[in-house]
Amino acid sequence: MSNFKRRPIDLAQPEGVAETRSHPELRMALLQAKTRRHFLRTLGSGLGTLFVQTSLAKYANAANDAGLDFTRNASRPLSALPPQFAAKVRRVIYLHMAGAPSQLELFEHKPDLKRLDGQDCPASFLAGKRFAFISGVPKLLGSQYPFHQIGQSGQWISDRLPHLEEHIDDLCFIKSMHTDQFNHAPAQLLVHTGNARLGYPSLGSWVVYGLGTENQNLPGFIVLLSGGKSPDGGKQLWSSGFLPSVYQGVQCRSHGEPVLYLDNPPGVSRPLRRTMLDAMDEINQQTYAAFGNPETVTRIAQYEMAFRMQMDATDAMDIRQEPASVLAKYGANPGESSFANNCVVARRLAERGVRFIQLYHWGWDSHGADAKEALNLGFMDRCREVDQPTAALLSDLKSRGMLEDTLVVWGGEFGRTPMRENRNGQEMKYVGRDHNPGAFTVWLAGGGVKRGMTHGQTDEMGYEITKDPVEIRDLHATMLYMLGFDHRRLTYSFQGLEQKLTTVKPARVVAEILA
Amino acid sequence: MRVPGRRISGQFRANLLTLAFILIALILLVLLPPDGKERAEWAQFIGRFHPLVVHFPIALLLLVPILELAAFSHRSSYLRLSAGFVLGLATVSASLAAMLGWCLARSGGYSGSLLQQHMWGGILLAGVCWLCWMSREHISEAKSGLALTYAITLATGVGLVAWTGYRGGQLSLGEEHLTEHMPVGLRHALGVPDDSLTSLSNPGPKTFYSARVQPIFAARCVTCHGPNKHKANLRLDSYRALMRGGKDGPVVQAGNVEGSDLFRRITLAPDHSDFMPKEGKRPLSSDQVKVIELWIGAGASGTIATDAIKDAPSGSSSPVAVAEVTFEEIDAAEVTRRRAEIAPSVVQLQKRFPDILDYESRGSANLHLNASMMGPKFGDSDLAALAPLTEHITLADFSRTAITDRSVTRIAAMKRLRVLRLTNTAITDATIEGLGALDQLESLNVFGTRVTSAALPTVASLPKLAQFYVGQTAVPAGASIPPTLTGKVIF
Repeated sequence: MSNFKRRPIDLAQPEGVAETRSHPELRMALLQAKTRRHFLRTLGSGLGTLFVQTSLAKYANAANDAGLDFTRNASRPLSALPPQFAAKVRRVIYLHMAGAPSQLELFEHKPDLKRLDGQDCPASFLAGKRFAFISGVPKLLGSQYPFHQIGQSGQWISDRLPHLEEHIDDLCFIKSMHTDQFNHAPAQLLVHTGNARLGYPSLGSWVVYGLGTENQNLPGFIVLLSGGKSPDGGKQLWSSGFLPSVYQGVQCRSHGEPVLYLDNPPGVSRPLRRTMLDAMDEINQQTYAAFGNPETVTRIAQYEMAFRMQMDATDAMDIRQEPASVLAKYGANPGESSFANNCVVARRLAERGVRFIQLYHWGWDSHGADAKEALNLGFMDRCREVDQPTAALLSDLKSRGMLEDTLVVWGGEFGRTPMRENRNGQEMKYVGRDHNPGAFTVWLAGGGVKRGMTHGQTDEMGYEITKDPVEIRDLHATMLYMLGFDHRRLTYSFQGLEQKLTTVKPARVVAEILA
Repeated sequence: MRVPGRRISGQFRANLLTLAFILIALILLVLLPPDGKERAEWAQFIGRFHPLVVHFPIALLLLVPILELAAFSHRSSYLRLSAGFVLGLATVSASLAAMLGWCLARSGGYSGSLLQQHMWGGILLAGVCWLCWMSREHISEAKSGLALTYAITLATGVGLVAWTGYRGGQLSLGEEHLTEHMPVGLRHALGVPDDSLTSLSNPGPKTFYSARVQPIFAARCVTCHGPNKHKANLRLDSYRALMRGGKDGPVVQAGNVEGSDLFRRITLAPDHSDFMPKEGKRPLSSDQVKVIELWIGAGASGTIATDAIKDAPSGSSSPVAVAEVTFEEIDAAEVTRRRAEIAPSVVQLQKRFPDILDYESRGSANLHLNASMMGPKFGDSDLAALAPLTEHITLADFSRTAITDRSVTRIAAMKRLRVLRLTNTAITDATIEGLGALDQLESLNVFGTRVTSAALPTVASLPKLAQFYVGQTAVPAGASIPPTLTGKVIF
């Protein structure tokens, strides 16, 4: 027993004994640490465990929502797996407008709100509500921009997105999105991890965990930022949470070295790097054999991927290779950090088999506290920044036949109020709206989604949902369905629970929007 | 030391006590019959033990004849001594079960003929058990016709157990719990009707209520608010019951949508504790809610005609507008069977071409080939190596690979192809013209190739084709498109 105390070696890995034959000292230490008491103790609990496992396994399977098997060859954790059932979508491009764009200035045509512009907000709008900044009795605020109907589907859109409106018959709007978070960081976490608290895997991580990725020379989940700031939720938005960290999003830069520290340091050649990696891999393999920690595999896989990425990532991110006509269509300027450049990169990554491409464009938080976040000023710039590239991305995917099996999602983390923001009860110099978790708009386009339709409806003021509410977890379940999964079966055992993206609450696949 | 007098009187006291129990249950039943209202938490709490306790008399009473019969054999004659004790236990537990049953029925919202039959069956059973027990106790002394009485009452008891138990099962598991999964052959042999639902359909004049509103309640509500279970004392299986309301009064205020509790509950947030249907069940669809809203708004009449309410959402035949998504369970054995023929080749070729060849899904034997991941490293000779799987490939992506027109016969042999991508390859019209037999093809992509308008007639002959991508090819944007391709060519 004293022996055991002196050598705190994890004995929960009996296979380690067999695997460490080539390391006599470690093997000796393991054998010495094993006492008779140890044997007797494990004997009892071991038999008990066996019994419980076999007798409870029945019930676990009987529930009919047991998780699917996602085990892979330990050295290839990102290898592709077929979906649960035949799927229309093979990859996702998620365009997140960080800060929450105003649906009332873009897609939600509310003539009654326009008519009541400037009047005091009715008391029923304020009872029991919490706002980030609105205080006292705010005034109703009509849309700042004119709306018109367009396309065969005859959907309403404002004049701020002249390029995107050409694709209106390809878009499927959900105007009844609902969230329960009214601050940016938790709301973004909810949108991207299914949970408002830290520590949960992001949508992209779940998808790569479930499907793997086809191109082993690039990460399966790539994140690109623009707009000058990171989203409020930070890197947690693309973290792998409790999933093995090999599934986390890899943030790439749109100019310079795409991934920092990816290139070899001066004086280190590629063959030399290879030799070094081989030696490190061997040591890491031994460590894994002895301790069985999946994070060791992640480490090996990441070194290997970094080595392969040195060539492919640089190539994929280099938008200079695109003809000038394509760059002009997106409004992209190689060398700068912009949403347009990121959209070109997104298309290039999609072509190369990257499973989940996540773009964030910051700056939509139109409170009206200064010119940059005013609905009548900064908001116009944001619209300009995303309008042309988004439209170009859609038409590029369409002409290349990729919109067939790519799902494009566009949206923020919540909506904005039909009332004008009045910080401290005062009328502000610039026009803005406060946060509204009660209703917001998201659109989807591409494989698996009906084209040119609107799902859900809000009241005459665009304040609350009156028809077909869609929770964030419903959107997640729907996206996973399009990717070929029953959201209840894409699970990972952690802390005694079969964890799911859609959490333990019931989620519904929005069947109405499925093509 | 044996004192016969004491023993008998002790036994007799137990007998009398049990009889008293039975009489109390009987009196309760007569004075306070179950009326389908929910009440009294204590009674309901105790009553919930009825389904648990009820299994004791069933098992114990069935054990008695087994013991008695077994005792005829000389070797196990000692079992006869146990039979009396077991019978006593059966009587006591039957009486207890009857009392608990009354608690449950009285407080848990049950009523109806099924319940009546189950209830009287239970009471009768307790009585028969008691008679049986009494007669058995006296056999040894009198040796008269009591043995015959005992045999008859015991047989009656066993029959009653079966009948009452079946009625109880119908109450808790549904009226067809024994027959609903009966194989069709057996069904015919026993004369069990095939379609149990026919009895539920409601012929009569088509009113808006019967055509549009009642089907919603029938599909979504009556399992809890129906003839056998009426939670909150509310029944939604007839117009009269609906308008009478539940324990908190009427649930529908004619013409007042906002004031109708029924409408309020189906339109709350689904996680609200008052929301109906209860958690775990799917909320009513927006169209269903709209139908109910319009009907209440128009006066909640039971007689207005089907077409009297104009704006009611269509889909009159089925109250559910959009079918919910269902997930089929993957049958591992079935998948293995379907894949058996190709599995060895797939495993072998997956080793040679990692990450580009896989099944369409976990339950499918169709294959997807994504050669684009190998880029220029994939050529005509590699495609030749995939020959054993040709007929199983339903999606093939050769984008940016080195394949040429020499592969045309191999591609044309992929008879089941639905999607074919030849983006940015060296293929020409010669390849496209060789694909005329791909009658399953839905999507053909020649973006960035040297294909010209000369390929259009072949493409136009593909029966299922819905998309033909010709961006950055020699097909000019203004090319004359054959009529069958109108709207399908994407530049």
